[in-house]
Amino acid sequence: MGMGGGNKGQGRVTMSEINVTPMVDVMLVLLIIFMVTAPLIQQGVKVNLPEARATPVEAADKKLVLSIDAGRRVFIGDAEVVLDELETKLAANAKAQADKEVYLHADRDVPYGVVVEVMAAAQRAGITNVGMITDPAAAPAASKEKKKEAKR
Amino acid sequence: MKALLFSLLLLPIAALAQAPVIQISGANFRPLPLAVPAPLTVDEGGKKAANDFDAPFVFDLRASGIFQVLDRSSFTADPKEGVTAGSINFSRWADVGAESLVKVQLGAEGSTLRGELRLFNVGTGREDFKASHAVPANEPRQLAHFLADALYKHLTRESSPFLTRITFVRKTGSNRDVWVADWDGNNARALTNGGINLLPALGPGGAVGFTSYRKGRPDLYVQRPGEDARAVVQNGQMATGIAWSPDGKRIAYALAEGESTQLYVANADGSSPKAITDTPYGINSSPAWSPDGKRIAFVSNRGGSPQIYVMNADGSNPKRLTFQGNYNQTPDWSPRGDLIAFTARDERNAFDLFTVNVDTGKIGRLTQDQGNNEEPVFSPNGRLILFTSTRDGAPRLYVMTADGNNQLPLPMEKAGGLTPDWAP
Repeated sequence: MGMGGGNKGQGRVTMSEINVTPMVDVMLVLLIIFMVTAPLIQQGVKVNLPEARATPVEAADKKLVLSIDAGRRVFIGDAEVVLDELETKLAANAKAQADKEVYLHADRDVPYGVVVEVMAAAQRAGITNVGMITDPAAAPAASKEKKKEAKR
Repeated sequence: MKALLFSLLLLPIAALAQAPVIQISGANFRPLPLAVPAPLTVDEGGKKAANDFDAPFVFDLRASGIFQVLDRSSFTADPKEGVTAGSINFSRWADVGAESLVKVQLGAEGSTLRGELRLFNVGTGREDFKASHAVPANEPRQLAHFLADALYKHLTRESSPFLTRITFVRKTGSNRDVWVADWDGNNARALTNGGINLLPALGPGGAVGFTSYRKGRPDLYVQRPGEDARAVVQNGQMATGIAWSPDGKRIAYALAEGESTQLYVANADGSSPKAITDTPYGINSSPAWSPDGKRIAFVSNRGGSPQIYVMNADGSNPKRLTFQGNYNQTPDWSPRGDLIAFTARDERNAFDLFTVNVDTGKIGRLTQDQGNNEEPVFSPNGRLILFTSTRDGAPRLYVMTADGNNQLPLPMEKAGGLTPDWAP
């Protein structure tokens, strides 16, 4: 699974990139990730959500929402927290610990690395399910189907 | 005028008559997730009292068994957030899992400390209950117990244990003294001053009965508030283990006679003693009254090993209640009448706590794998059990719910405590 492979017999080659494989492995093994549609979530923090053409999950009841705005500020609900404190806050949070699930509400312009840091903090705090909140606008077919299902 | 009105008056005000009631027992019971932020203070007097108020207040709520008191480190609300519904951001409390929120505001008025408690429903954002109370400025603990009691009463319609007293024995050097304290083991006062004093029992009206060796052999003494201890059974024999009848008019105790030990019942002053057991050999001890005063549970080795028995208070109709194990002792009858808690030596020679149902004989286990646990005693409302445990080394007092959950050490300033008793 090595990502910097293919250098057999070429002598010394400096590996300049960070090997993210172990981290991605851990994330994939321990985190269940799914898509959540935005209209279900009323949030105080203003973010431009990414658009995704994926079948979203209907939220059964309201889960704790972590937000990352365009300025890379992290919020639990609408309360800003320092990233360093996120893990402790989530580990102590009765709602998150009961659900083992949070929704991630991040701006589309936030770097992947920041999102991964937040997800890793959640994972260290014992969260196993992360719902990625996306804008359903780009996936009209999927959301219509959902609505139909809900009506039935 | 205002100060007069507020001074030392209890002013609980139930805001809503149709407020929900927590049913403590039953399969569906779930502790209420409750956020209890640090108290707000309106002045210097309040600020000074805040810590001394906060610790016992939070302990009462945690130990009650009816709340899941949420971890403050998870809180996201502004610590300076107000105490009225309009100033509270309820979604932040919902985000940390709170279903209810308790806010307390402390302030001084002259030489009194005044506390105001408000209970909010986080889901509806409404104030459900409000209570206020004032105490002398140097008694923030009493304010904490009072407000916790008001909250407990509002939610359960039952009396809380928070305003009750306990007694226990503390060992210092070769002395063993009887102490009386608040229910959480604090505000403790020694009743005896040196020597060997054992097995205290709290009776109605604050009377404390105990066994003392002050005359060189064990006799029974009773100390009533504001009086000196008075011998009630002092007849040259070994008398131990006083137990008050629920109305406080009679006492039961054990008296050694030659090769056997028999149980007696006498008036509270020791007059008209009458033997209620009569086994030619063997030991009968540790009497415990039923809440209606009609029956007495006790320990007897008449069947070969110490077991729990029950008989009528006049000694008639003795019946063996425990058949498991070979060493069962220190029975205490639940104020609800259905259960007797006792200490048993289990298959690994560890002492652990059990209950036995008086009618069915069904055994329930309360403690396991945590040192030796002994001397269970029910809270006056029957919801909690106080006991001693050696799980952290030397014996200390612990409290748990009557079904064995939520076991917590009493937050005593000075640790150590044996043979506790708990009374209204």
